[in-house]
Amino acid sequence: MNIKHVWIVFKKEVKDIARDKKTLITSLLVPMIIIPLMNILVGGGVQKMQRDITENISIALSENSRTDEIKELIQNDILGNWPNIKLIDVDDPIEAIRQEVISAVLDFEKDYKEKMESGKPFTINIIYDRMKLKSEASLQMLSQAIGEFNARVVRERLTALNINPEILEPARIEHTDVADENKSSNPILIMTLPFMLGLLVVVGGIPAATDLVAGEKERNTFEPLLTTKPDRASILLGKYFTVTLFSFVSVVSIIIGFAIGYMINPNSLTMGTGTEITGFNIPTPALVLAILIAIALGMTFAGIQIALSTYARSFKEAQTYLSFLMIAAMIPGYATMFTQPADIQLVMYFIPVINTISAFKMVLSGTINYTNLLAALLSSVVYVALTLTLATSMFNKEKALFRS
Amino acid sequence: MIKVKGLTKKFGDFTAVNHISFEVNDGEIFGLLGENGAGKTTTLRMLATMLKPTEGTAEMGDFDILKEPAKVRASIGILFGGESGLYDRLTAVENITYFAELNDMDKESIKERVNYLVKAFGMEEYANRRASKLSKGMKQKVAFARAIVHNPDIMLFDEPTSGLDVSAIRGVHEFIRECKRQGKTIVLSSHSMSEVEKLCDRIGIIHKGNLVDTGTIEEFKEKYNNPNLEEIFVRLVGGKHEH
Ligand SMILES: Nc1ncnc2c1ncn2[C@@H]1O[C@H](COP(=O)(O)OP(=O)(O)OP(=O)(O)O)[C@@H](O)[C@H]1O
Ligand SMILES: [Mg+2]
Repeated sequence: MNIKHVWIVFKKEVKDIARDKKTLITSLLVPMIIIPLMNILVGGGVQKMQRDITENISIALSENSRTDEIKELIQNDILGNWPNIKLIDVDDPIEAIRQEVISAVLDFEKDYKEKMESGKPFTINIIYDRMKLKSEASLQMLSQAIGEFNARVVRERLTALNINPEILEPARIEHTDVADENKSSNPILIMTLPFMLGLLVVVGGIPAATDLVAGEKERNTFEPLLTTKPDRASILLGKYFTVTLFSFVSVVSIIIGFAIGYMINPNSLTMGTGTEITGFNIPTPALVLAILIAIALGMTFAGIQIALSTYARSFKEAQTYLSFLMIAAMIPGYATMFTQPADIQLVMYFIPVINTISAFKMVLSGTINYTNLLAALLSSVVYVALTLTLATSMFNKEKALFRS
Repeated sequence: MIKVKGLTKKFGDFTAVNHISFEVNDGEIFGLLGENGAGKTTTLRMLATMLKPTEGTAEMGDFDILKEPAKVRASIGILFGGESGLYDRLTAVENITYFAELNDMDKESIKERVNYLVKAFGMEEYANRRASKLSKGMKQKVAFARAIVHNPDIMLFDEPTSGLDVSAIRGVHEFIRECKRQGKTIVLSSHSMSEVEKLCDRIGIIHKGNLVDTGTIEEFKEKYNNPNLEEIFVRLVGGKHEH
């Protein structure tokens, strides 16, 4: 092995692949554009939906209750503080709900007035459609509005009777949030970011790996290369580091993608689920460890990918093997997508792919367990050594190199 | 000088090359003549240190293929098969330069040598064009230049004209003659009698892994008392084994 030769091969391979528009677009541009776009679109959608549901709500009165008195009662006393809810007139209220012209209908009991004046309860029936989001939301808002109205009337009545309204409130509820400002990172981000990161590291090197061995064999450039001065180990390592590098190109571009999305719309990071990201407080050593673990994962897969690409009889066959590898690697990723950082057990840190995803979940959650991180790093190093050995032995197998 | 000593290659139980020995003098073209599957490529791959011999060895110039494979590789140039095998996304010059770098040439001499080769092969017009954009003939010249960029003493050609059209074949033959003119020691494998007769100083006939006979073309004609090399070949190969 000769470092200079490794460097020559590496330089050439990077230049070669960087000129491949197809690879470049899929591994660089797509994550950089798609991710922010998706987040903004989905995020924008979620926000718009939330706005739509709670804004501009129209309701109507049932035919029997459509009197000026009731209208006045609703507009002044019940919905006085609810400018987002409007009372309108419609001919067929039930049909209007179905047509989504209005969200709910209020039906007052016939002798509500006498009952109210004599201090007896009367009934307001809220007619709504459970299958319609906006209608269901209006049920809640109307219930709350009527509840507030009730409380006001009760207070007035008690005051009239010279009783302190406080009697109605034996215990007052308050709440205090002790969440650490710096640690209040978003659960959605903890779920999506480490998962995507792990997946990209695993798939990022695939186009390069396919091209660099199976592709060379197919294009007849491999034999001339093998008869140049460098030994096989140097050629292999040059290719190996190229594949490793490309496993991270997509990662870097996806992070840039997230950053672009964040700059365009801060809410896009969390797909519009509110809770803005307040500055993370990630301890640097933990972040460094997590990055090292990710690099080790990239190298582990670079080794497997080169080995498979060497073993393959043709470019097509290499592509097939590598897509199976991709699927195999995605399964543990999906399986642990919803696991909360605090619930990840130590053994998870020994399993490739999962260890990287788990490490980043832990780091994003802000609660660091260095034992687990070190376990992940050590096991990763072992995997790197194993798969590099596998790639080397495959690269020295005459049967694999010269099959046709 | 090339000295092949009892070179043998087994793939499992199958013996592809069986204890073959021959010598090639400096500046000589040695033709390895054999049918499909005779063991030509396997032999040349062993000489180029791509395959490890099961038994035997060879000296390529001053170096032994088992003891100093890197030095052997640095002193040989190859052209295997009719396909040029260039990196499509690299330019002609980049393709040539890559092999110069791999063979440990320094920057200055690479520049000098590449410039020289570009002129010598008349590649000025497309020197900086990507290989994917080159015609077959242009690619062939780039492949020639690449094979000799490090000025090797020994050239190995494995069926270099297979699958090529007439003008491309002529190009290869001219290149081989030019290599000889430059004093290189050459091994050429072929299954074409006329090609071997045209180019080679001495030939060896290989059949099912065995080197059946070696000698100059004149020696063959005298020994078998026949002016037609093709008939000699059929007698040696077909006659002995097929009946
Ligand atoms: N890697 C390998 N594994 C197993 N058998 C092989 C391998 N390479 C070659 N062989 C076998 O060895 C024998 C000699 O093959 P070789 O390629 O050297 O012949 P050749 O003379 O170059 O023939 P051709 O004219 O077809 O190129 C053949 O029978 C071939 O099938
Ligand atoms: Mg052959």
